[in-house]
Amino acid sequence: MSKVARAPGASKRLAEDGGASPLSNSLHHLSLQQSPSKASKATPAFADSSSDICPVCKSSRYLNPNMKFLVNPECYHKMCESCVDRIFSHGPAPCPIAGCKRTLRKAKFRSQTFEDLKVEREVDIRRRVAKLFDKQESDFETLIDYNNYLEQVEEINWNLILGIDVEKTEQRLRKWEEARKADLNPNAIRRVTEPDTSQLSDTSHVILKKGATQRKVLMSSSASNLNPLGGGDDAERDTGFVFRGLKKRKAPEPEKPFDPFDGWSIEPQYYSFQGDYNHNWFTAMKNDPQHYAGGYDMREYYSRALCDAFGGMGIFIEDEMTARDTQGFDDAGLGTQSVATVAAGGRDVDMADIF
Amino acid sequence: MKLTEDDLYRRSSQYKHWCFTPSKLALLRQKTNIQASERVKANVARQRAQRAKNLDTTSASDSERANTPGVENGADGASGNGGAVGDKEVDCLTVAEEMRLVDKFCETALELGNFIKVPAEVTATTIQYLRRFYLYNSPMTYEGQNIARATMFIACKTEGWHIPSSDYAAKFANVTQEQVLAPEHLIIQALRFNLEVRHPFRGLKGAHVELGEMVKGTYVPLEWDKRTGTQIQSEILKLPKRAGGAPMNLSESDFRKRLEYDYGVASNILKTSAQLTDTYFHYTPSQIMLAAHLLADEPLTLFLLATKVPPPSPIYSKTVDTIRACAAKLSSHRSYTDSSTSLEDKEARDKKEKAEVLAIIKKLRQCRDPDKMDLVKLNEAHKRDAVHDGELDERKAKRRRLDRENAQKEADEFWGPELPKNGAK
Repeated sequence: MSKVARAPGASKRLAEDGGASPLSNSLHHLSLQQSPSKASKATPAFADSSSDICPVCKSSRYLNPNMKFLVNPECYHKMCESCVDRIFSHGPAPCPIAGCKRTLRKAKFRSQTFEDLKVEREVDIRRRVAKLFDKQESDFETLIDYNNYLEQVEEINWNLILGIDVEKTEQRLRKWEEARKADLNPNAIRRVTEPDTSQLSDTSHVILKKGATQRKVLMSSSASNLNPLGGGDDAERDTGFVFRGLKKRKAPEPEKPFDPFDGWSIEPQYYSFQGDYNHNWFTAMKNDPQHYAGGYDMREYYSRALCDAFGGMGIFIEDEMTARDTQGFDDAGLGTQSVATVAAGGRDVDMADIF
Repeated sequence: MKLTEDDLYRRSSQYKHWCFTPSKLALLRQKTNIQASERVKANVARQRAQRAKNLDTTSASDSERANTPGVENGADGASGNGGAVGDKEVDCLTVAEEMRLVDKFCETALELGNFIKVPAEVTATTIQYLRRFYLYNSPMTYEGQNIARATMFIACKTEGWHIPSSDYAAKFANVTQEQVLAPEHLIIQALRFNLEVRHPFRGLKGAHVELGEMVKGTYVPLEWDKRTGTQIQSEILKLPKRAGGAPMNLSESDFRKRLEYDYGVASNILKTSAQLTDTYFHYTPSQIMLAAHLLADEPLTLFLLATKVPPPSPIYSKTVDTIRACAAKLSSHRSYTDSSTSLEDKEARDKKEKAEVLAIIKKLRQCRDPDKMDLVKLNEAHKRDAVHDGELDERKAKRRRLDRENAQKEADEFWGPELPKNGAK
């Protein structure tokens, strides 16, 4: 079919251009033979890589110098901007190219980056795969493991590019993506899967009636899915791909509540704070809206007064200062050396001239 | 990680930089005195030599003569031959004399505080600043009156009792704003930028409130204390009025009156004797407060202490000793003994002291440091665009002016010029 579709286009172009170079023609044939499975997709675009005619509406650049071609990564069929507007403005629609049944959306259309649409497609696939497989060398125990991983990823890339086992690979990729999401944000995935697990267990109940042992395994797995961290069943969970020597991802520690005092607390030894004290000094202040409306807490005052009353009661200056002197620990002039010299009768310190 | 009240006090600048043993304090004052005397002697000698040089060419200017100590009554040296000018050695103040002067300054500051009606905390902070300032500076170098005025202005600011400097200066006769502001930087430097002074006033209130709870029977004892609140109440009501007196059994309201009276006495002691002695350097505010309370009501204070520290422990006896020593220091000051001495004694003593202080002040006039006489001029010399030796360094001034104008122009280019005000074009 592809040949039929292409042949008239090619001949037409030949007629219009006054003959294309034989080289481009042969190249085109070559590319077709390389990937017979998706030749039908690539054909229209490749048939006239230098063409100026929209394969859908057949209008040419000759008539419309501002014509722009767009492609959709779904099937990579090229069409002009006005065709995209016309066909896809009212929502998703099937690709207008004969033989291509894919449903396209307008939002996905874009102008192509690479001249060769095969390259364009490969770049897209590689981008998608690289997003999922973003392990670093440091994530692996040995270099050989990392290299094996890279090899495996490359294999996935080529499977998708060449269309080998696409269905199976896609399925595994989906599983891998889910596992990855669960790893990065265990809470979010739990919210989604919780209703799912019940559903799954209902259906699987019917399917797996044969073996009690199998059911037990499933029950336990669904139970472990419910555990808060969700990381306990990594071994049994199917992640689509298994890489040897991959270090287990360590979830970052949950943030502790902020403590402005950095673990320090004040524990009075000479008084026990009673919370409220009744004294005629305070009655006026307690009932004054000017005080309590502003958020002034009398307890602040009580505790401060009590702390002042007994703070330093057990400090014996004579002993402690003597101890400090004998230790040679005198930080009195440490940060303010120049000030100390001034205090000792030297010249006054000159402030720096900022201008 | 736990902090007790004592640890909190250990973190204060008062504990870190302004606590001394008596011997260390004496040493410090000695050192300051020696340094100041040396400087005074050197400066006076230099000035005399200068004048002698000037005498050879022209007669000494009047202003210079006025700035030189020892000229007023030592003019005979100046009029004679130039070589004989520096023959008379300057008689400097001794440490004890300096101390008397500083105490006098502090008393004046107390009166000053009453005069311009600042809160007691401001006055107390002023006095502590003054005491700290004269620990590292001698009255010979910086004269007390100006320093006290400026210090009180700083204390007003640090205690949150704000007043514009112009208003403040207007409270005194013949005092300009510059005179108040000029020594500020100097004082702050001498205080080593430690502006916090921990006073015992709020602590006294705390202790008073706590005693009130005990009298009411709602006091919550510490963990080691096995008594209940009501037990403490019955015990406190039985306390004798004087140490060693017979136990009494006052009613709750009567005891409350006693508390009020004690508070008044203690607070008065804290405002006067505690300020006018060196207690702040040797004791913590809590100890000073308890000492003042001890002077007001000994049995009650000891009872309070016994609820805070278990009496059998060595800490208790040590604390009591410390507080008693502090109380002895407080009661040694004459402001405390005033009430007990007769009027004639008091007058005679005041007269004698006044004469002594006047003599010291007279002596001080002879040994002032000539370099530090005019604080306003000194302050101006420190500032940018200062007038050095009567003329501005023109190139420097011009460069600065250009710099400033350029900066302004750049700012205008970036932000746009200033908006015209109220429709003015």
